[in-house]
Amino acid sequence: MSRKNNASIHTVRYFPRFSLSRRWEHTFLLLSFAVLLLTGLPQKFRAMSWSQSLLSTPESVNLIQQIHHIAAIVLTLEVFYHLGLIVVKMARRKLTGEMLPTWQDVKDAGSMLKYLLFLRKDKPPFGKFNFEQKVTYWFLFFGIGIMVLTGFMLWFPIQVTKFLPGGIIPAAKMAHSTEAVVAGIFIVIWHFYHVHMERLNLSIFTGKLTEEDMKEFHTLEYQKLTKKSASRNLEGKK
Amino acid sequence: MYRLRISNLQAHLLWIACALVCLFSLAYVDPAEAGERPHVLFQQTEAYCLTCHSNPELSMTFPSGEVLSLYIDPENLSHSVHSPQGIECEACHTNITTFPHPEQEYADARSFSRAYYQACQKCHATNYEKTLDSMHQQAFEAGNLEAPICTDCHGAHDVSDPNEPRAKVSTTCSQCHDVIFDQYKNSIHGKALIEENNLDVPVCTDCHGVHNVQDPRTEQFRIQSPEMCAGCHADAELMAKYDLPADVYDIYNLSWHGVEISVYKARWPSIWHDTAVCTDCHGVHTILSTNDPLSSVNPANLLATCQKCHPDAGPNWTGAWTGHNKISLEKTPFLFYTEAFYTSLTPFVLWSLVIYVILQIIRATVARVRRSIQ
Repeated sequence: MSRKNNASIHTVRYFPRFSLSRRWEHTFLLLSFAVLLLTGLPQKFRAMSWSQSLLSTPESVNLIQQIHHIAAIVLTLEVFYHLGLIVVKMARRKLTGEMLPTWQDVKDAGSMLKYLLFLRKDKPPFGKFNFEQKVTYWFLFFGIGIMVLTGFMLWFPIQVTKFLPGGIIPAAKMAHSTEAVVAGIFIVIWHFYHVHMERLNLSIFTGKLTEEDMKEFHTLEYQKLTKKSASRNLEGKK
Repeated sequence: MYRLRISNLQAHLLWIACALVCLFSLAYVDPAEAGERPHVLFQQTEAYCLTCHSNPELSMTFPSGEVLSLYIDPENLSHSVHSPQGIECEACHTNITTFPHPEQEYADARSFSRAYYQACQKCHATNYEKTLDSMHQQAFEAGNLEAPICTDCHGAHDVSDPNEPRAKVSTTCSQCHDVIFDQYKNSIHGKALIEENNLDVPVCTDCHGVHNVQDPRTEQFRIQSPEMCAGCHADAELMAKYDLPADVYDIYNLSWHGVEISVYKARWPSIWHDTAVCTDCHGVHTILSTNDPLSSVNPANLLATCQKCHPDAGPNWTGAWTGHNKISLEKTPFLFYTEAFYTSLTPFVLWSLVIYVILQIIRATVARVRRSIQ
């Protein structure tokens, strides 16, 4: 585990970040989200000629709607899995709550803003999930919640209006159609910048982060983990 | 005795002279009669023809056994659009120039009419050609000899302005389309036309066309029908006159139904599409004011109207239709709050994030440049 000062041997130390289950969740989320966006946008913009060229026959409209529905079921199952896991973990008192927003996040955002405006020299140190990542999670948590709810309202409007007022159907249509674009813009601007441009962060696929990344972007978590392992090492030597 | 004696030759001459006097006096009747009608151009042939055809008893029998009256009411003829302009009998009855007439070869009265109406195109070529492209012509080609020809709608000897009064258009069509006329005359359009002689409401020809009347049951007619209604119902000036909203078409075009129709109109006009057009909800010839308790879109009947296409819909379903209303707190509260959310909070959050990312890019670039300088 120790780094040697030999130039020919360079040991990279990895820190586990996401379990296999989290990584699969992200894969299903990514795939269903992409398919839903690609099959949804031509439906949203059906009045535009580019959409009409793409959906050149009534059959292709049917097909794209069926693909949209299948992807919607995949996303819904993923949402239920995710929520179910939270409930199970809560019941077993195993939910860490590390994704919950805290007052520290607000302070971190303030410090980060100062840093970005050249009012501060260094970035504030972050824990396992910094406030940017929490924004990503919660923005999509509610965004996908809106999309799933309104999506099923539009899929089964007759059944939904048996017990809910009819006025929610056109509202659901507007919300579904607008939220899709909002979520799409959010992913491209916010999420893609942070995981592709700021640095290439593939930890959600590989499940791990390098020591350098941990030091730089998750300083507090790194310190916590190294202290722990250091003390564990000490215990082992005893 | 000599003076009293009349020779054989003289007797003959006297008889001829008497005959001539009689003949001249007969011939003199025509111009005298023609002169009695003011504003009417002198027509030798018309007057000539009327010497026989003003007899109400005059008729002919076809081989089919049909009897056709050959009586022409001189009064009707004089009020037609043609006669005062000097358009004579011969202009249409081209094969009859004198008496005795040539033998007619038509088996029945209808084929006689169908042969004579061909004369209309001599002057009215454009309208005649339009009729060749009509639903009526298709019916004729399919073997229906009763399919209307020019004279069935315009009349023959009594042709007059088809638009005067306006309601005349509808009564003309009602000669054959009586069931539809009965519906129309009780509709909001028909009542205004027939009872008030309202010139703004559509008569049959405004929607169906005049000479090239098309089959209204086709995909093409259906797909363009909302635009047709919009011809009046999107005309702000006209609608203001009746205190009706002029944005119904625009709002329809934003609705689920309207978008579907616009796509089919643009791309697949020849494919039948069931999504609702104006007439599916409002009725076709039976359109009534929304406030009328008998209207298919009166709130009391709206659910039944929706159920024509959405049979399982429950009572709440009608609320899903925004009813050609703009988004407002009173009429569409759910839409109102949803729109408010997406026009205020969401753009604010998104812009904040965008600005944050831009600041990050600037800061990261500066940091990188500084590092490379060191």
